[in-house]
Amino acid sequence: MSDAPNSPANALERRLERLPESLRPREREARGSGRLSRVETIVLLAVGLLLAIATVNDVVLDTHVNHRLNADLRTWRAYTGHHYKNVATEQDVIHYTTTDVVCGNTTPGPPKQRIQLCLQMTGPVVHGYRAARGGWYLPPRAEDLHRYRYGCFGPPKAQGRCP
Amino acid sequence: VNVAASQELPLARTRSTQWAVPLAAACALLLVAATAEIVLDGAVGHSILIPKQPQIAGWLSGIGERLGYRVFLIALIAFTAGYAGLVALARVVSKRWAIALIVVLHAFVFVGPILLSTDVFSYIAYARMGVQHGLNPYTHGPIAISHDPIYHYVGTDWKKVATAYGPLYTLISYPFGLLGVTGALWGMKVLAMIASAGTLALTWRCARLRGRDPVAATLIVAANPLYVIYALGGAHNDLLMMSMMMGAVALTFAGRDAPAAALVVAGALVKATVAALLPFMLLARRSAGQVLGALGALALGALVAYAVFGSDGVNIVAALNRDAAFVSTDSFPTEIAHLLGKPGVFPIDHDLLKAGLIVIVVHLLWRTWRGYDWVAASGWALLAISVTSTWLLAWYILWPLPLAVIARDRRLLVATLAIQALFIVHQMTPLLVPVG
Repeated sequence: MSDAPNSPANALERRLERLPESLRPREREARGSGRLSRVETIVLLAVGLLLAIATVNDVVLDTHVNHRLNADLRTWRAYTGHHYKNVATEQDVIHYTTTDVVCGNTTPGPPKQRIQLCLQMTGPVVHGYRAARGGWYLPPRAEDLHRYRYGCFGPPKAQGRCP
Repeated sequence: VNVAASQELPLARTRSTQWAVPLAAACALLLVAATAEIVLDGAVGHSILIPKQPQIAGWLSGIGERLGYRVFLIALIAFTAGYAGLVALARVVSKRWAIALIVVLHAFVFVGPILLSTDVFSYIAYARMGVQHGLNPYTHGPIAISHDPIYHYVGTDWKKVATAYGPLYTLISYPFGLLGVTGALWGMKVLAMIASAGTLALTWRCARLRGRDPVAATLIVAANPLYVIYALGGAHNDLLMMSMMMGAVALTFAGRDAPAAALVVAGALVKATVAALLPFMLLARRSAGQVLGALGALALGALVAYAVFGSDGVNIVAALNRDAAFVSTDSFPTEIAHLLGKPGVFPIDHDLLKAGLIVIVVHLLWRTWRGYDWVAASGWALLAISVTSTWLLAWYILWPLPLAVIARDRRLLVATLAIQALFIVHQMTPLLVPVG
């Protein structure tokens, strides 16, 4: 094995040897580097702890979001009386509120292939449900974009959520 | 008393070995079972975890059920538990059984479908753009070939995005563009397997040269859940980059400085990240041959890239800057932002992360200059890049692993495995509260 560095015979090495000892390159770490290593270990442990807390916190936050989304789906199914599996939930990724929009077909069919009813869900989860505060309709095969919405009702009508 | 103690010690060791061998075998079986579960369920067809793809594993489709989050995450936990046991017991695993396990895991993944990522379809799309449609993949996204059969399989987020991979990788992938979509997919799978075999063989060699147990070192890499399920399962080009990285390390250990530096540059022309090794290698060895090797490879690579792809093929930095702005939910900066009550990372956070990364790299460079193991320093730099990146994918936290198993600083291996464990923990939400 020749993992060892080159012999210091070349010109560069001779020049480097003129540097003060504290700046000179070393082939092996000096004995005193144990203290630095301990400081590094403490920093690493602190960073590791921060990352672990952040990860667990994120998992807890995500479980809360999933809990809310389940309540949204349950509420949509309860309001419409349709127990469809493919119902789409959208979170507010612009203002980061907990207001979600849930859209699903009004009659049986493949996802988004029929007129869709979108309900706006707000408030806390109570007994597995949230409050549906109005909504709008979408034509078949349309995404939930402002230009496609029609028949707004409830607060979304006053908020101008339909064109 | 001394005689009795000296007789008891080997006896205790034998007893612990007697337990350790069947325990290691059970861990290995757990790994194989978890892999088989994921592959067989994945072979049933498209799901939230299995991207749309040609039916390359259709003959396996009658055995499992469509792969959902719950089964996948349970299999991932089982795999991880088996891996943890195997890492702890790696010393009792014989060379023959270690190789057999690695071959079985590779074979299962090879015959199965593409898992968890659409990246391989982007690789093929870029290749087909070049060889079938005469388009430059550095100036156009796959949307430019929306009529091509591969377009259907490219991930939604990547349809308008030009390639960020190095020109050497793009050239390597070009012949696959001639094979048809299914042929190219098999070609990419074969390339991933060859690259993985190369990475593992070189890890074995480097471990032996450094006086480490080569069986344990290779098993820690080859049986890693992120390596098997995510990197191999997705046929990612990170495996090719890693094989070149380990080739460069092996060449340096053999005292062949110029080819080693040239190989790092070649690796960076596959995926730029591996360039992180070069300054540590140069500082540790301080040989003119390395500088010449790196410059020669860079000049040749730039010349070929410019001749084939024009100036866009040479400007990898622009592609890296573009990708550095992406944000994924799994990244640690995003998690810390959430912890601080922010909805996500902002442009100022990108600047802070870059500054933090620079501080870490400068510290590592200084440590290397003063005699710290350059292999460990390179591994720390790769780990720091993945942890500070706002765009984190499972296979990114594999980059430092082959270096960690041969590094003289064992903290690197512990830190790399800990970061991987946190990544896996972060995947668990759908298991705790499934949405439906």
